[in-house]
Amino acid sequence: MTTLGDYLTVSGILFAVGFSGVLLRRNVIIIFMALELMLNAANLSLVAFSRFRLGEDGLPSYNAQVLVFFIITVAAAEVAVGLAIIVALYRARRTTHVEDINSLKF
Amino acid sequence: MLRDYLPVLLQIIVAVGFAASALIVSVLLGKAGRRTPIKDSPYECGMVPIGEAQPRFSVRFYLIAMLFILFDLEIVFMYPWAVVYRDMIHGHPVVFWSMLSFVSMLMIGYVYALRKGVLDWRN
Amino acid sequence: MISAPYLEVAVLVLGTVILLIESFFSKFDRRYLGYAALVGLALIFLATFFIAPQSTMSSAPFWNFYSADATSLFFKRIALATTAGVIVMMFDFAALVSSGVQGATPQSGLGEFFALPLFTCAGLMWMASAIDFVLIFVSLELVTISFYVLVGFTRRNPASLEAAVKYLVLSAVATGFLVYGITWIFGATGETNLQKIATVLSGTGLEQNAALFGGVLVIIALGFKIAAVPFHIWVADVYQGAPTPVTAYLSVGSKAAGFIVLLRVLDPFLILPQMQTLLVAIAVLTLIYGNLAALPQTNVKRLLAYSSIAHAGYLLVAVVSFSGRAVAFYLVAYLLMTLLSFAVLILVSQPAGDQLESFAGLSQRSPFLAFAMLVAMASLAGVPFTAGFLGKFLVFDAAIATHHFGLVVVAIVTVGAGFYYYFKVVRAIYWDAPPASTDKIIVSPLTRVALIALIAGTFVLGVYPQPIFDALAR
Repeated sequence: MTTLGDYLTVSGILFAVGFSGVLLRRNVIIIFMALELMLNAANLSLVAFSRFRLGEDGLPSYNAQVLVFFIITVAAAEVAVGLAIIVALYRARRTTHVEDINSLKF
Repeated sequence: MLRDYLPVLLQIIVAVGFAASALIVSVLLGKAGRRTPIKDSPYECGMVPIGEAQPRFSVRFYLIAMLFILFDLEIVFMYPWAVVYRDMIHGHPVVFWSMLSFVSMLMIGYVYALRKGVLDWRN
Repeated sequence: MISAPYLEVAVLVLGTVILLIESFFSKFDRRYLGYAALVGLALIFLATFFIAPQSTMSSAPFWNFYSADATSLFFKRIALATTAGVIVMMFDFAALVSSGVQGATPQSGLGEFFALPLFTCAGLMWMASAIDFVLIFVSLELVTISFYVLVGFTRRNPASLEAAVKYLVLSAVATGFLVYGITWIFGATGETNLQKIATVLSGTGLEQNAALFGGVLVIIALGFKIAAVPFHIWVADVYQGAPTPVTAYLSVGSKAAGFIVLLRVLDPFLILPQMQTLLVAIAVLTLIYGNLAALPQTNVKRLLAYSSIAHAGYLLVAVVSFSGRAVAFYLVAYLLMTLLSFAVLILVSQPAGDQLESFAGLSQRSPFLAFAMLVAMASLAGVPFTAGFLGKFLVFDAAIATHHFGLVVVAIVTVGAGFYYYFKVVRAIYWDAPPASTDKIIVSPLTRVALIALIAGTFVLGVYPQPIFDALAR
């Protein structure tokens, strides 16, 4: 039987994979995919919490599931704007690697 | 309960085992071939390829893809709305007006994209 | 009487109308769109005074998300005033918007440049009223995503694009932390509404560690928005690369909204003592790092970026002392002096760049701008009889009242460091010789009015802060 703990473990691993991807990868597009992974980890545990914490009436808490919808759509908007910026950067600099993004001193 | 998943486990073991053994056998038995520039070319006895390996797409594809993602995902709000609509519309007209305002915001975004020529493929 | 939610709707409609006019009509001066935005914002600002703050929650589900108390109204006014100030600056920046874009007319892109701050403003206003994590998340993202576009708006300028990419990646990480934190808070308490969370947290039999874990993740995410150390790494680069009006907006608007959300989120978590220790540590780090890193800067935009980190430190001291009054007053003072310094910076840097040298001898080229910058720097440093001084005074007062003596000592020492780097700018303006070939800087009437209003505000609030307290206490 899968328990709440199992879902939370998977979601924790997803979040960790996403965050380490952001820290370690060098291509902005891959970094972006890792960021999406972090958001989806949160989605997974939200749905798991909502499914396993039933209220008095035996129904799951729908607040969390609605929040998941919001996260999905906001992530889509973020991706659209983000990809537009990355395409513009590629046209200007011919690169999507973070080492090459260095004209501002760090 | 867990016994039901035994076939799945077996299949995973077989799949991984086959892939791993194939790799090991090829390393053990295969001969490391001599590499020449001609052997490394994509089509060893065909045409000499011209141009870059990754062809460039028009930036319009990205634009359309982005707009598609946005408008596609907004549908997600209509599912929960549609589920409760029939029960709530009596006595709660706000259910109708809120969705109308949401769709009209989307419509404004669409009209803006249209006017800015994002969906225009001619030039 | 008007109901508070209509304010955001009005701002949103204003932005949409401007966007549609921009897309449907092509042959007119885009500056009229900016004037329309200014007039609209002024009207909405006036309308906020005709709304009675509601302290009691009505039973309608909507009021579980949205509060219209005096504090949120006050922060809505801050958002509106900041946006109006930024749009005034945008007029001065307009010539640079589409520079380098092939086949662009001087007018192209201006309509969107004036419309986007309005959407950001709506997001900031919603943040001021948000008392549920769902609304906090959505409004925060509305602000952040419109800032992505604004930071990278001058899209043929590689610095602007790089700033946008850095801001994009780091704020998206912050979003990930925020969402994951909300998840754990929800998991521990079963609620997303802050008031209900407070009730659950004060009860017994709670998985406190899960709630604490979630709370810390949310604090990290908000730390990114308010530019607190150690979540400040994006600040200097993004501030330097972004178009200057957007930098001003980031440094004031984003910070003000971040602090109101921080105050509201911390409210239920007061019960957990570990939270207090964490915040004190962040405040000390922010104060020391912000002030020390500002010392060697020679680029005025970067200097203001580090100074903005330092001011986040003073604001955090007020947050740790749980003095909403000090936070609110300090933010108003910060708004006045930051907008003032960035407005002068835009005018001075247009021919010569953001380096400190371009300020050399400003007192001879434009005595008015030199005086404006002097007032801004004096107020930022905390010279008496300016709003900045009174803000710092209130913060320290609140900290002493809650027995954070160590924090006050650190803060006062760092104020001394602040005097040094702000004085560097003043010295360049009044003592350094101007470069040989420079002419007078022309200040447009609109900007002149805005600058005079900001200077007057800085002095008036420095000696007579009562209107702010009245607005908060209503």
